[in-house]
Amino acid sequence: MRARAGALVIAVALIGAAAAIAVAAARGPSPPGTLEGRVRGIASTLRCPVCQDLSVADSPSALATQMRASIAQQLQAGRTPDEIRAGFVAAYGQWILLSPPRRGLTLVAWLIPFGLALAGLLLAVGAIRRWNRGSATSSAKPVSLAPEDRRLLDRALLAAQEDVE
Amino acid sequence: MDRLGTFALVLALGLAVYGLVASIVGVRRDRPVLVESARTSAFSLLAVVAAANGAMLAAILANDFSIAYVAENSSRATPTFFKVLSLWSADEGSLLLWNLILAGFIAAVAFRFRRRRPDTLPIAMAVMYAVQIFYLALVLGPTRPFATLATTPVDGRGPLPLLQNHPLMAVHPPFLYLGFIGFTVPFAFAMAALVSGTLSDRWIRITRRWTLAAWIFLSTGLVLGALWSYGVLGWGGYWAWDPVENVALLPWLMTTAFLHSVMIQERRGMLKIWNLSMIVGAFALTTFGTFLTRGSILSSVHAFAQSTVGPMYLGFLILVLLVGFGLVAAQAWRLRSEGRLDSALSREAAFVGNNLVLLSITFIVLLGTIFPLFVEALTNRQMTVGGPYFRETTIPFFLLLLFLMGVGPLLAWRRASVAQVRRRVTAPVVAGAAVMVVLAAAGMRNVAALAAYGLATFVLAANLGELVRGIGSFARASGRSVVAALIPSTVRNRRLFGGLVVHVGIATMAIAITTSSAFAHQTEVTLARGGLVSFQGYSLEYRGLRTIQQPQRVVREATVTVAKGGRALGSLTPSLNEYPASTDPIGSPSIHYGVLRDLYSSLVGFDATGGEATFRFFLNPGVFWLWVGGAIVVLGGLLAAWPARRRRTAAAAPAPVPGQLASVG
Amino acid sequence: MDESMEPAGRHPSGLEPPSRGRRRRGRWVVFAVVLVAVTLAASLFAFGLGRDPLVVRSALIGREAPSFDLPMLSGPGTVRLSELRGKVVVLNFWASWCTDCRIEHSALAAAWDRYRDQGVVLVGVAFEDTASSSRAFAQSLGMDWPIVSDAASRTALAYGVYGVPETFFIGPDGVVASRWVGPVPYAHLTDEITRLQAGPSA
Repeated sequence: MRARAGALVIAVALIGAAAAIAVAAARGPSPPGTLEGRVRGIASTLRCPVCQDLSVADSPSALATQMRASIAQQLQAGRTPDEIRAGFVAAYGQWILLSPPRRGLTLVAWLIPFGLALAGLLLAVGAIRRWNRGSATSSAKPVSLAPEDRRLLDRALLAAQEDVE
Repeated sequence: MDRLGTFALVLALGLAVYGLVASIVGVRRDRPVLVESARTSAFSLLAVVAAANGAMLAAILANDFSIAYVAENSSRATPTFFKVLSLWSADEGSLLLWNLILAGFIAAVAFRFRRRRPDTLPIAMAVMYAVQIFYLALVLGPTRPFATLATTPVDGRGPLPLLQNHPLMAVHPPFLYLGFIGFTVPFAFAMAALVSGTLSDRWIRITRRWTLAAWIFLSTGLVLGALWSYGVLGWGGYWAWDPVENVALLPWLMTTAFLHSVMIQERRGMLKIWNLSMIVGAFALTTFGTFLTRGSILSSVHAFAQSTVGPMYLGFLILVLLVGFGLVAAQAWRLRSEGRLDSALSREAAFVGNNLVLLSITFIVLLGTIFPLFVEALTNRQMTVGGPYFRETTIPFFLLLLFLMGVGPLLAWRRASVAQVRRRVTAPVVAGAAVMVVLAAAGMRNVAALAAYGLATFVLAANLGELVRGIGSFARASGRSVVAALIPSTVRNRRLFGGLVVHVGIATMAIAITTSSAFAHQTEVTLARGGLVSFQGYSLEYRGLRTIQQPQRVVREATVTVAKGGRALGSLTPSLNEYPASTDPIGSPSIHYGVLRDLYSSLVGFDATGGEATFRFFLNPGVFWLWVGGAIVVLGGLLAAWPARRRRTAAAAPAPVPGQLASVG
Repeated sequence: MDESMEPAGRHPSGLEPPSRGRRRRGRWVVFAVVLVAVTLAASLFAFGLGRDPLVVRSALIGREAPSFDLPMLSGPGTVRLSELRGKVVVLNFWASWCTDCRIEHSALAAAWDRYRDQGVVLVGVAFEDTASSSRAFAQSLGMDWPIVSDAASRTALAYGVYGVPETFFIGPDGVVASRWVGPVPYAHLTDEITRLQAGPSA
């Protein structure tokens, strides 16, 4: 009974959390609203040319300030963020983008983390399957052993498995 | 002074070579006297390297501009405090400090094992001497701090303005170096263990403790670096995913993974190859970090001036990788696993998960940092990998790590029963979910932030709960009250409680990072004198600009009064500092720190008379908790590392490793 | 309990290390993997050492030079790129606060003297500078070629300038032939100018 109630509480909590995520996701990202916000959105994807590793949004340098002014002007003239970015890329090259584009060779940079996550997931699933198989054949309750004895038992088991393999 | 310094360095090189040769010969020919002399020469080595550093310090303080390094990095006008700091503010001097810290660690190892010497000590010392030889060769060869100038200038150029802007320069590099160099010790013992084929439990305990010490230093150095970036550099942030920042993070990530999986090795005799590889990897990453920072491979705000030592660093890095991983490969057959993982619902499994996630993050950050180089080599095109990439790719992994941090302490070793887990996990899960529901109801849209808050709450509840449980059960067992049991139970369970405290600190930092990243506000505005701007409920008025003459710089300080809801709160004084040697002024931000939020200001520009000035104002919520969390992490590490009083018997040892006989332990 | 696996006598578990043959083969495979990985990494880093990380290649090479219409720094009049079609244009970005710009001045002046009557135009663009400072700088050095000011750095941004001094070489056909970052040596000026005078921007 206790177990059932406990499991129910956890389930409800998890559902609540999932609902919260869904609601937040459905709302979508907040609209930038002000011009300053939209400028900052684009500027944060561009690298400040005269600094090291700061975005145009973060950089206090004069050139970055002028780039932000230029972005503001272009936004007011009706250009889209992609067009504005393309303009800077035309002058500075791909180097001005802070994030590698998801095309061509640089796509590799985006695939690797995804691949790692996938590999980790497969490892975990495989390991869980192996353990479940192992626990199904062994006894339900672990016997409490003296640590030294436990070690010897482990080694013997390992040796036995080696013989089979 | 330069002759004294150079002589000291040459002497040091001789001592290091002697130590290396004597250790090896002493072990192979079984001459304990030789081995012992190699051990004690560590003390003379330290004294001599300290003398070299002292010589440089004396030269700087005495304004000896015949030495090129002093002329380029100090000046008569530099205040004494910053003169001392200029010892390590540039390439050559910082290498001198590097040598000193390395010699210090070798001496510390020699001293620590002066009585009960492990079999691996001689070879470990040989490895450390070899590393010292490399760094001494650098300061005697391409990067000589004591090189002299043909004609002595009247005055020096002074330190780079950015490096004399703030006293934090005093502590950030030394702690970082203590962390990096600290990894030499476990690496040396790992190499020694592999070479000799002895991989005892004692080796694991030695390496674990020294690794933990290095980890604590590195954590401190990283947090101080973030503090510097925030409080000194003036761009309003604390981490820029700069290549040099990234390479400092990499060994920290790998070592954190090691500190978890080593517990599996201690208890179950598993993951030996894995742990050895991580020790080699962490040391290789610190060597790679040095190579990246000083070898002018990538452009970075931290990169030292162009130097010609790149090939030497690269050569050393290749040596470390080949020898390190080669030895692991050679001895891998000896390192058979003694146990197996029993259940997916166990602490071991959580630790394995922890390792997988941390190593994934390490790989992503490493790949991202060298990716521009890789692309340029293949396609001859230049590109950048910056903050947005790292954030997008690592946030999911960090969230997963938070989850493991909460669930790991709740799982028992070997096989946790479902009922037990359910009992312990209920309250934290409910807490985390409640936070998420409340925030979502309040209108939060940022999904990543929502998940982070929920998971961080889960971690806090789980770890604090375990702390309370641990103290409570000790109190029950010893018949004391909970309050009276606090200290004794902590002393008895240092490693466990230390780990739980570190988790609490990381969760706090996670909350701070999420809050300051997702909910900061900023604005850039030009104000005339007397002009007012309203920002996030604050009323900011530009009062004027004044000029302050200091011996080493001219400070142009703007005064902005701050009021909120009619109440005057004080004033901010951001400034632009003009240094004689540099044409670009360096900004100093002015920050009104608060527990919940910081009001941050920086002066971007002003017109000739100061009648008009351009400011950037930020409202950064939660940054205070980043420093608090960092301090908690360091405290937790210190607690976990606190050594036990040496005991004769095996009873009541803090870490219950089965079958441990103290006479060999 | 010392976990030395050296088989000096019977180990309590009775475990034996795997057969020597299997051990050796496995070991060599791992060695090979380590060697290959380290070699690849080392080659990459060696390549990295061989180039200057601070120099960014221009994206404009081989493309039409962005047009500009900039006012003279002193006096009336403007300089328009469209009007300079048919001539070799050397576009030099500089600033009064830039020490390297002083260094390259003599090279630029010498090149100007030599080529000004040969269909070559040298245009200096002040970058991130106040009018008074740039005027004073130009006067003190004696810059006698057209100097223009670039308000809001529109032209600098269009040309992908990330520091000073930078010098662009534009052919008579209006195409950007090359860019030099840093103080430009006299020899390079003459080489590029004669190359562009000879044929189309290659």
